[in-house]
Amino acid sequence: MAWVRVWPKWQRLLHAGLALTMVAALGTYEGGRLHELAGYAVLALVLLRLALGFGGPMPARFTAFVRAPLVTWDYARALWQRREARHLNHNPLGAWMVVVLLSLGAGAAVTGALYLTDRFWGEAWLIAAHALLAWPLCLLIPLHLAGVIHASRRHRENLVGAMWWHGCKLDESWDSALSCPVGRRDQPSAHE
Amino acid sequence: MNRRIQGLLAAMTISVCTSVSATGLATCDSGPKSGWQPIEKLEKQLTERGWAVRRVKQDGGCYEVYAIDDKGQRVEAYFHPVTLAPVPTRPR
Repeated sequence: MAWVRVWPKWQRLLHAGLALTMVAALGTYEGGRLHELAGYAVLALVLLRLALGFGGPMPARFTAFVRAPLVTWDYARALWQRREARHLNHNPLGAWMVVVLLSLGAGAAVTGALYLTDRFWGEAWLIAAHALLAWPLCLLIPLHLAGVIHASRRHRENLVGAMWWHGCKLDESWDSALSCPVGRRDQPSAHE
Repeated sequence: MNRRIQGLLAAMTISVCTSVSATGLATCDSGPKSGWQPIEKLEKQLTERGWAVRRVKQDGGCYEVYAIDDKGQRVEAYFHPVTLAPVPTRPR
């Protein structure tokens, strides 16, 4: 059993960037220069994540952690019955949350950017689409946080520390440590 | 799940999302709608000034205009519905 670096530094930086820019964009929802800059930043970061999700190294690829709907449904049922498996990478529900958050972020950013063009300035349907895509994030981001906290408590590991700081998780199948700077207090007790 | 964390997350959602009511940049003391000039009159005035008016809506008792002005700039401007005078907007 050893620490495995599941999330490399670029992925952790992208995640932090997306979290901060999305919250900044939502917080400045009335508009203005900061809102627009935050939106452009969200778009750039989402595009980067998509590029790496389709063509990057394996743990970051969407095919590595996004599961079919039926498999996800089975996971959800197991979660409800408190007997779900612990996943090294994003769990099936978390994986779909990633897909939804990236999609809504991209959709809101694209509609917002289009609205600022001469061709589409003032179009009521476009600004309505922009709002419709952005506001669900107010519910989904707290839900995402709740999911992370719940999984951390269930499997007794610090997932927030893993994604924001060191990117490492304990795994049985590895024999050698991969220089993960994780202290003893982060070691979870025996897996259930 | 820990009730305190649930409560905190609920509070976060609510505080971020419920200040949606007042999003306008100006308000007008404009009286009953019967005293308002028609939108078409405002549009005509602005078009004569060289503006390309994209959309006029009501916001905070004023007319809110989305247009491209005579200098080619995208503008979001407010006008008083009775006098059709421009209304200064609060900074965002």
